[in-house]
Amino acid sequence: MDVALSKNGARLLRTFFALVILFLYAPIVILLIFSFNDSALPSFPLTGFTLHWYHQFLTNADLRGALETSAIVAALSSAAAVLLGILASIALVRRRFRGKSGVSALLLSPLVIPLVVFGISLLLLFHALGIGRSILTVVIGHIVISLPYTILVLMPRLQQIDLSLEEAAYDLGASRLRTFRSITLPLILPAVVSAYLIAFTTSFDEYAVASFVVGSRVTFPIYLYSALRFPSQLPQVIAVAVVVITISLTVVVLAEIGRRAAERRLEAPST
Amino acid sequence: MAQAVGAQERPGRRLRARLDVTTPSLLGLPVAWLVAFFLVPIAIVAAYSLDALSLDPGKHPLTLQAWHDFVHSSVYLGLFWKSVKMSLIVSAIVVVLAYPLAYYLALSGTKRKYVLLLMLIAPFLTSYLLRVLAWKVLLGDNGPINTLLSTTGVRSADHPLTLIDTRFAVMLVLGYVWLPFVALPIFVSLESLDRRLLEAASDLGASRLQSFRRITLPLSFPGVLAAFLFVFIPTMGEFVTPSLVGGASGYMYGNQIVDLFGTGFPDWQTGSVLAIFLLAVVAVLTAVFARFLQPGEAKAI
Repeated sequence: MDVALSKNGARLLRTFFALVILFLYAPIVILLIFSFNDSALPSFPLTGFTLHWYHQFLTNADLRGALETSAIVAALSSAAAVLLGILASIALVRRRFRGKSGVSALLLSPLVIPLVVFGISLLLLFHALGIGRSILTVVIGHIVISLPYTILVLMPRLQQIDLSLEEAAYDLGASRLRTFRSITLPLILPAVVSAYLIAFTTSFDEYAVASFVVGSRVTFPIYLYSALRFPSQLPQVIAVAVVVITISLTVVVLAEIGRRAAERRLEAPST
Repeated sequence: MAQAVGAQERPGRRLRARLDVTTPSLLGLPVAWLVAFFLVPIAIVAAYSLDALSLDPGKHPLTLQAWHDFVHSSVYLGLFWKSVKMSLIVSAIVVVLAYPLAYYLALSGTKRKYVLLLMLIAPFLTSYLLRVLAWKVLLGDNGPINTLLSTTGVRSADHPLTLIDTRFAVMLVLGYVWLPFVALPIFVSLESLDRRLLEAASDLGASRLQSFRRITLPLSFPGVLAAFLFVFIPTMGEFVTPSLVGGASGYMYGNQIVDLFGTGFPDWQTGSVLAIFLLAVVAVLTAVFARFLQPGEAKAI
């Protein structure tokens, strides 16, 4: 006899689980259907198959520009966030110092700040300093938002690494930097990659803070949001949505497969 | 700490080599970044709320006037409670829905549990804005739901269901957006549950319901509370979802903050008061429940 679930209970929960999955994916599937529907309004009955909306967004220069801007912002901010995250994680995992709990609370606090509050804070800062809004101001904000995520991904990985590997390198005369490059970095590389991916997607999708500090060159979420006010743009926005969601679902699945493979490889010698 | 301090006082050759990257040089950049672009900006907002900084030129004495007005205003506080109530309802419903999902994954002994977990969480890792957009399309007066109802004759086309621009729409979409994520901390706490406790209870004659109520539920409570807070804290300051699907009746406290800094009738002082108040509420919640919000609960996949 199973102590946690009866046969009927398991069946019931399985059905419920399936229903929730249906609820989660149905809106995405419906978007997919309407992205191919030959009508300017997303409504039933369906009127025919078309690739027109995909063609329209592929030739929309504003939209492509916004995607490009977001890619640049995401690439810059996640690279910086990962770099700062590596420094902070090494200090938090490997060093003992006064006020450590305070420092780690500060480093993680952007996780809980309401983004609307952080957005206006940055707006007022740049206003006070007389700095104009641009891509750079968005990057600055996104680094703050992504930093705690990178630390949360990197710290557990650093904690797993056997300290004696690094000590052996010092004993053999390697400098701090050399040890980091040849020992620590290769060992935490999977975590660095996932930290980068998480920071990248966070930035790419970020609307709330960007809406306060973005300049005339808009990011993708800002573009989408403003496009929603024009019904004529809706079909191509739906087509873009389908493409972006499909890509990100694929990346999520691939990243998970890659992470498991890397984990197996790292665990193999020790077991 | 003693180790590091002692090493600096007696710099032996090998020890100095080990300390060539000091703790301050590791922490300097990340901490400086957060001080400059996180703490200082918040301090500036606080200064605006006290009129120490202002859009109006000229000298300003510090004043608590805006705070006084806020505490005595029925509009802003009413809006705050409305948002708190909406967030509470959403968080509670979402946790209640997520618990059986996490229970199934952690305790049913299914072989594909990590595949199923990934399926459940994957939507959360795709664009937030696009998932809200999907519902904006779905819920429209002439959207798929209403036109499906009218073409199948369930409802006449002239009287569509009012779905969009309602408080219900905001709560539905917020629930949709957060549900996958919320299962995670509950799953983690159920996963670490020692099955032998349940076996012992069963051997002693407890029914499944009894062991659930007296063992499983209490032991998974930290995960449940973490899940609740992970939804409650961000939704309290939400403004994107209500502005897309909420209309006037779904207007939340976060929207009010945005509008006070908007181009219509900007009032940065009042807006700053509202922002600092929200931040203080969140800070108190986080501090009180800090031990439930440990990173260990948050990460996992």
